[in-house]
Amino acid sequence: MRNKLACLALLVMIAGVLGGCWSRKEMSELAIVLGAGVDSAPGGQVRLTLQLARTSAFMAGGDGGGGKEPSTWVISDTGETIADVQRKLSAKISRHIYWAHDVILVFGEEAARGGIRKYTNFFSRELQPRETMWVMVARGEAKDILETGSELERTSAQDIGFLARARTGFSVIFKDFIIMLASKGGNPIATMVEIVDRGVISGDIAKDKPTKRKGVALTGTAVFDDDKLVGWLNMTETRGLLWLKGEVLKGVITFPSLTEPGRELSVNIIRGQTEVEPQYDGESVRFYVNIEVEGDLIEQQSVHESVLEEHERNGMEKEMAREIEGKARLALDKAQGEYGLDIFDFGEAFRRKYPREWEKLKDRWNEVFSGAGVEFAVDSHIRRSGLQGRRTSVPE
Amino acid sequence: MARFVKPLRARQFGRGQSNAGHSGVEEQPKENDYSSQDLQSLDLSADLQTNLGQIKAILSECSDVIYREFDFAQDDRIKLAIIYVDGLASKSQNSDQIMRALMLDAPLVEERVEFTRERAFTLIKKKLLTVHQLDETNSLGGVIDAVLSGDTVLLVDGHTFALINGTRGWEGRKVEESQTEIVVRGPREAFVETLRVNTSLIRRKIHNPNLKIEMMKLGQVTRTEVALAYIKGIVNDKLIAEVKERLERINVDSILETGYIEELIEDNPRSPFPTVFHTERPDKVAAQLLEGRAAILVDGTPYVMTVPFLFIESLQFPEDYYERSLVSSAARLVRLFALLISLLAPSVYVAIITFHQEMLPTSLLLSLAAQREAVPLPAIVEVYAMEIAFEILREAGIRLPRQVGQAVSIVGALIIGEAAVRAGLVAPGTVILVALTGIASFTYSYSSSLSIRLLRFPIMALAATLGLYGVICGVLTILVHLSTLRSFGTPYLFPVAPLSPGGQKDVAIRAPWWAMSRRPRLVGMNNLRREAAGLKPKPPPTRGKQ
Repeated sequence: MRNKLACLALLVMIAGVLGGCWSRKEMSELAIVLGAGVDSAPGGQVRLTLQLARTSAFMAGGDGGGGKEPSTWVISDTGETIADVQRKLSAKISRHIYWAHDVILVFGEEAARGGIRKYTNFFSRELQPRETMWVMVARGEAKDILETGSELERTSAQDIGFLARARTGFSVIFKDFIIMLASKGGNPIATMVEIVDRGVISGDIAKDKPTKRKGVALTGTAVFDDDKLVGWLNMTETRGLLWLKGEVLKGVITFPSLTEPGRELSVNIIRGQTEVEPQYDGESVRFYVNIEVEGDLIEQQSVHESVLEEHERNGMEKEMAREIEGKARLALDKAQGEYGLDIFDFGEAFRRKYPREWEKLKDRWNEVFSGAGVEFAVDSHIRRSGLQGRRTSVPE
Repeated sequence: MARFVKPLRARQFGRGQSNAGHSGVEEQPKENDYSSQDLQSLDLSADLQTNLGQIKAILSECSDVIYREFDFAQDDRIKLAIIYVDGLASKSQNSDQIMRALMLDAPLVEERVEFTRERAFTLIKKKLLTVHQLDETNSLGGVIDAVLSGDTVLLVDGHTFALINGTRGWEGRKVEESQTEIVVRGPREAFVETLRVNTSLIRRKIHNPNLKIEMMKLGQVTRTEVALAYIKGIVNDKLIAEVKERLERINVDSILETGYIEELIEDNPRSPFPTVFHTERPDKVAAQLLEGRAAILVDGTPYVMTVPFLFIESLQFPEDYYERSLVSSAARLVRLFALLISLLAPSVYVAIITFHQEMLPTSLLLSLAAQREAVPLPAIVEVYAMEIAFEILREAGIRLPRQVGQAVSIVGALIIGEAAVRAGLVAPGTVILVALTGIASFTYSYSSSLSIRLLRFPIMALAATLGLYGVICGVLTILVHLSTLRSFGTPYLFPVAPLSPGGQKDVAIRAPWWAMSRRPRLVGMNNLRREAAGLKPKPPPTRGKQ
C-alpha cells in the first residue's frame, strides 16, 4: 500500500515536470516578428530580413502618441543558414526573437530561382513559426517588401496578411506550400508580391501636399518547377488558375454584352464549383473540366437587354461561361505551353482515378500534362439582379 | 445532553431528573457553582422563602433579575412572588395579566369559588391568570431556565410547583428588507434575530401541519435555542435522524451564530467549499424545505442554515423561480459564466501572456504588449498585487463605517485604477481584468464566492509556473475534490455528477414550473412528485368553431 502511494506520488510529480511549460517569457521581453524575408546573398549565403513590431508604438489612443511613432523595425543580416542569421541578429536585438506571430514569409526572386527547398526547413522544423503564415515570392528583393509601410494597418506585414486572406488572387499558407513541394502531382505556386504605387495620403497628416505612397500589392502568382522559380502568372491568368484549381471562387466576372458590342456586364460570384475528370485510354490523357458557377448581376452597361427576360438572361449566362473558359484557357495555355508544368494539381486528380497508371507516368508527368487535351463545360447562372430589374436611366 | 423538545415552552417537566447528568460536562459541578444543568434535579420546596433564597443564591449578582413578592387579594396568608428578567419579560403583561389579576381582579371570581390555601395553585392557574401561555415546573432548573429565557415565574407559597408565564417581550429588530440577498421580484422580508419570529415567518409560507419545528438548546453557557424545521412526508427521515445526531454531538459552551453549528456538523471540515447553506430569506428556506431539505434556525441570528447543500445552489436564486423561465435561464448562464471568470480569469490571463503568447490574435498581442511595455513588473506580480488590492478594498468596504464609505471608494477607484495605470505601474488590461473578476464574484452565492475567491490565488501561482497546463491541473484538482464532497450524504455536485437527467431542469437552465414536476431526486427522494401532470397551459379551443 505504501509502495503504491509512493509510486502514485512519483507519477504525479513526474507528470508535473513533463508538462514542458517552463519557457516562461514576459511579453515585454519579446521581439515579435511580423514578417520575415529570405534573400540570397553573395557566396551562397542567405540574407534574412525581419520586420519586428516596436510594441510601444501600438499603444491605443490617448497620451501614448499612438501611430506617430514608427511601428516597425526592419533589420537584416547574412549567414550560412537561417538559424545562423537568427543567432547573429540576436546580438543586435535586445529581446527574444519571437516567431509565433510571423504573418508572412517572403522569398526574394533570386533566392526563389536558385531553389527554395534550401530555405524552408528552418520554418517547418523550428517550434515557433506557424504553418499558417502566408508564403509569397517578391518581384525583386524580399527585403524591399518588408521595408514598406501601410496606409490602413499598423505594419506592412499585417497589411499583406490581410490582402492574402482576402484571396483576390492565389494565396497559400506555409503548410500547404511545403505539401506542394513534396507532392509529385503538381508544381508549387505561391503568391507574387511587388511594390506598386498606392495612391496618395492627404488630409490633416500630410498638411500641405498629398504624399505619394509606394506600397505592396499582390499582383499574381509565382510558378515553380520543383523548387525553382521559373515564371509568373499575371492577375488575369491567376483568375484562370483559380477556376482550374477550383479554389476560392469569389470576385467579379466581367464579360461583353452579346447584343450591344462594346458594352460590358459584371457578375458577382456567389458560388462556384470545379470538377476535374481525367480520362486515360492507355495512350493519351484528357481532362474534362466542369465548372458550375452562380452569381448576381451587379453592373450592366448595355441598355436594351434585361436580366429578367429568360432568353436574354440565357444569352448573358452563355457569354459569362465563355469568359470564364477564356480565362481558364489563358492560364492553361501558359502552363502547358510556356512552362510545361502542371500547376493545377491535375496530377492528383489523375492519381486518384488511375493509381496504377500514375505509377508509370508520374516521373514524366509534366510532359504528359503538357500534351493533354482539356475540355471545358461551364454551367453558369445569374440568380439575382440586385436592386434593379431593368435599367431606370433609359427612356422608355 | 441536548434534547429535542416539542413545543418551545414545554420544558420537559418531570423529565429533569431522568435526563440530568448524562453528559460529561454536566457531571462535574463545582461547589456553589450552580450551572443551569445540574439544577434540573433539584426540586422546589413548598416554602416560598426557601425557594426564593435558593433562586437568589443562584442568580446572585444578577442585577437585571427582578423579584416581586406580594399577597393574594383575598387572603393575606397566601404569599406570592414573581421573578423575571428586566428587559426580557414584558412589563405590561406582568402588571396586567399577573399582578393585577391576582391582587385586584381575584375577588370577581371569588364569590362562586371557595378559596383555600390548598386550592390556591389550581385556582390561580385555572381561573385567575390571564396570560396566553402557562406552564408549570417543579424543578429549580426549570425556574431558572424560564426566567433567563424571558418568562415570568410565579411562585405560590405552600406549593412545590411554579407557574411559568409566557411573557417574553424584549426589544428586537423588526422584520426588514433583506440587506444581503436582494431581489427585484419576490418577497422582501428577511429573518431577524428572534427565533420565534423566524419560525413564524416560515410558518406563514407553509400552512401545513406537516411543517415540524423541533426545539433544542445548545451551548453549555449560552443555552441558545436551536430549532430544526422540516416538512414531514417530504423530507427523508434518515436525513432528519442524521441532522439530529450531528446536532446532539455538539457540546460547546456557546452558540452565537449558525456558523458555530455549521463548522461542527459539516461533512468535510477541511474543504474550502461550504457544505451547509445559509440564507436570511424566509422564501428561500421555505423552498428548500419543500424540496426535502431540513432547516436549522438559531436564536440570535437572522441566518438560517439548510442541509443538504448542493454546489449548484450557489447559482440558484429565489428570483429565478419568480421570473419567467427564459429570463431566469439566461441569468443562470450568466452566473455560471461569471463563476468561471471569477475563478479562472486572472490565471488564464497570466498563463497566456507569459507562456502562450501565440494563442492571441496578432493585433491583440500587439496592443497587450504595448500596454505591458511600460510596466516594470512581471505579469504575475502585477496581477497578484492588484488582486490583493481588490481584496483589501472589498474587506474595507464591508467593515468601514458608512460615513467614510465614499472616501474609501473614491480613493480605491482612483488610486488603484487610474493612478496606477498612469504611473505605469500596472497595465490597463490588468485593471480591467481584476475589476471584472471582482464583480463577477458577486453574481453567485456569497459563501461560495468566498471559497472561489480564495482558490483563485493558488491557481494563479500554478498559472505563473506551469502556464495553462498548471491552470488545467488546478481546475482538475478542484473538480476531483468537489466530486468527493458530500453534504449530509448527498453528492455535492448532484445533479451534474452523479448525473440526473431530470435534475438538469434546474441546473444551467431553470425549466418552467409546469415542466419541473419532480423534486431533486437525491434530496426529495421520499416524495418526488410535487405537481400534477399536464400543467402546461394551452390556449382554449378556437372560439369561432361551431
